[in-house]
Amino acid sequence: MAEIVETPREAAAEETAALAPRVRPAFAPPRALVLGVLAAVALVAVALPFVATAYVVRLGFILLLWVALASSWNLLSGYTGYVSFGHAGFFGLGAYTGALLITRLGWPWWLAGLAAGGLGMLVGLAVGWPTLRLRGPYFAVALLGLSEVARIVATVWEPLTRGGLGITLPPTADLVADYYAMLALAVAATALVWAVARSRLGLRLLAIREDETAAEVVGVPTTRLKLLVFMLSAGFPGIAGALYAWETSFIDPGTVFSVTWSVRTIASAMFGGAGTVVGPVVGALGLNLLAEVLWVRFPFLHPVLFGALIIVIVVFMPGGLMGLAQRRGWLPRSRAW
Amino acid sequence: MEGWALTLVQVAISGVLLGAVYALLAIGLNLIFGVMRIINIAHGDLLMLGAYATFWLFTLWGVNPLLALVAVSPGMFLLGVALQRVLVDRVVGQPLLSSLLLTFGLSSLLTGLALNLWTANYRSVPAFSGSLVVGGVAVSIPRLIAFSVALAITAAVYLFLTRAKLGKAVRATAQNAEVALVCGIDVARIRLLVFGLGTALAAAAGALLAVIYTIYPEMGRAFLMKAFAIIVLGGLGSFQGAFLGALALGVAEAFAGYIWNTQIAEAVAYVVFIGVLLVRPGGLFGTSE
Repeated sequence: MAEIVETPREAAAEETAALAPRVRPAFAPPRALVLGVLAAVALVAVALPFVATAYVVRLGFILLLWVALASSWNLLSGYTGYVSFGHAGFFGLGAYTGALLITRLGWPWWLAGLAAGGLGMLVGLAVGWPTLRLRGPYFAVALLGLSEVARIVATVWEPLTRGGLGITLPPTADLVADYYAMLALAVAATALVWAVARSRLGLRLLAIREDETAAEVVGVPTTRLKLLVFMLSAGFPGIAGALYAWETSFIDPGTVFSVTWSVRTIASAMFGGAGTVVGPVVGALGLNLLAEVLWVRFPFLHPVLFGALIIVIVVFMPGGLMGLAQRRGWLPRSRAW
Repeated sequence: MEGWALTLVQVAISGVLLGAVYALLAIGLNLIFGVMRIINIAHGDLLMLGAYATFWLFTLWGVNPLLALVAVSPGMFLLGVALQRVLVDRVVGQPLLSSLLLTFGLSSLLTGLALNLWTANYRSVPAFSGSLVVGGVAVSIPRLIAFSVALAITAAVYLFLTRAKLGKAVRATAQNAEVALVCGIDVARIRLLVFGLGTALAAAAGALLAVIYTIYPEMGRAFLMKAFAIIVLGGLGSFQGAFLGALALGVAEAFAGYIWNTQIAEAVAYVVFIGVLLVRPGGLFGTSE
């Protein structure tokens, strides 16, 4: 008498099916709707300087700055899982490079910005080469330390940087031009993330995030890829720093190397959803708009409220807004998002 | 002894004395990492709270800082247990990003509260002063007191971890939480205990630093970096490594301060830390993860 015996493989498959979370059928927004929303956002972003007051344009500039930082951070940390506290260092480096090229050598602002981005990438390569061999916690702590070292160097190297006195730039900044430059930077960073997310490279980076040893075993050149995205990710804060320096006309080590640049970048990306394309953009806009409101109302309580906000984000929405939307089935679980 | 030799000895001693206080901070951070795999960015700010508690007890009621330490540490232990229960426990086992960001949020919150409540003014606790001259070498009395107390606390923690049953349970959890759980160790309680203990040690370090140093709301960040440097020197999870690393950092800072200036001395921690990471990614005495 033959009994029907479950093979181990079938049993395992059943078990897996039982364990899998019940996912609601995802709502896939029609293509026309997506393109329509994108077009509307683009229209608002491009038209803003023509219709808004200088205060609003400046606010837009700052928000786009955070979008550029969050998206470029996401490229490395969201996809590989290596948490970088290096953005403050690259931002400060870019700000000083831009400021020095403009004041000392009389370079035009846009050329100084590009040079700052190039230097950011070069330094990213030099810093990434030794530090990306470090595993998770050590890497995070190493970049936190390196950003602080950069601040100390900028403070101590007085002949070049004037130390704690800071650098005053000629007040030639054209807010509208700077706004459009930052818009281009934010769009470029996000487009790069989008392109990477949909590519083989994106898949390989995710493999590093999930299990680096396994990724290496199946032939992913982990060190080379990590270095590549770290370098790409470091260029954006470099340019952003130079544009910021030109716009504010005054920089000093304590401001531009402040660890806040890293923390707020990370919080923005996580608020929206690290490792997604749209998340960091939405997070950067939402969180920093909120921070701007808090800042105006309660200048002294700002760090307290901001700290509490970060804690709330981590505890109650670990996947960010995108994670929430995808769990609820409001958005497709696709890498293109 | 020659004059220069005396000076060298004096600088080295002053470094060792300070290093023992650093050890308290680093051991707590190391324990928390060992048991929960969490890097507590707010660790330096817990030190700051301990320092302010000591300052206020001394300034308002003239409480001796050493007596204050005895009161402040248990209080901070309870604060640590509460923090673990309400916040930190939620990110244990989560990706690194969650715990880093959570403790950064906590750090910002505590620094901000201190700024609002106690202003950014520099404070100090001038409870002890003077120096002891032994064989031509002058030793600062506040530092000597801080050193002795720190050494006693370190020894007590060491004995607790190696001899007491509960301490062995802590070490077992650090080695392998799952196996510890299977062996009947209440891992959740161990985590409460460890975060409480780490907080109490940071506060004790703060109370002792209050006697030597100036206090201000943002002091935590600099001391956090020192603790990182020490842990990198000594290896993550190693008790002896953290202690020796702390003494080494104290001495290195003292010499840098003597040869150049205090600003450079402050940078020593970063240089040590990056240098060691580049040469030996697993720490000088540690094993790589």
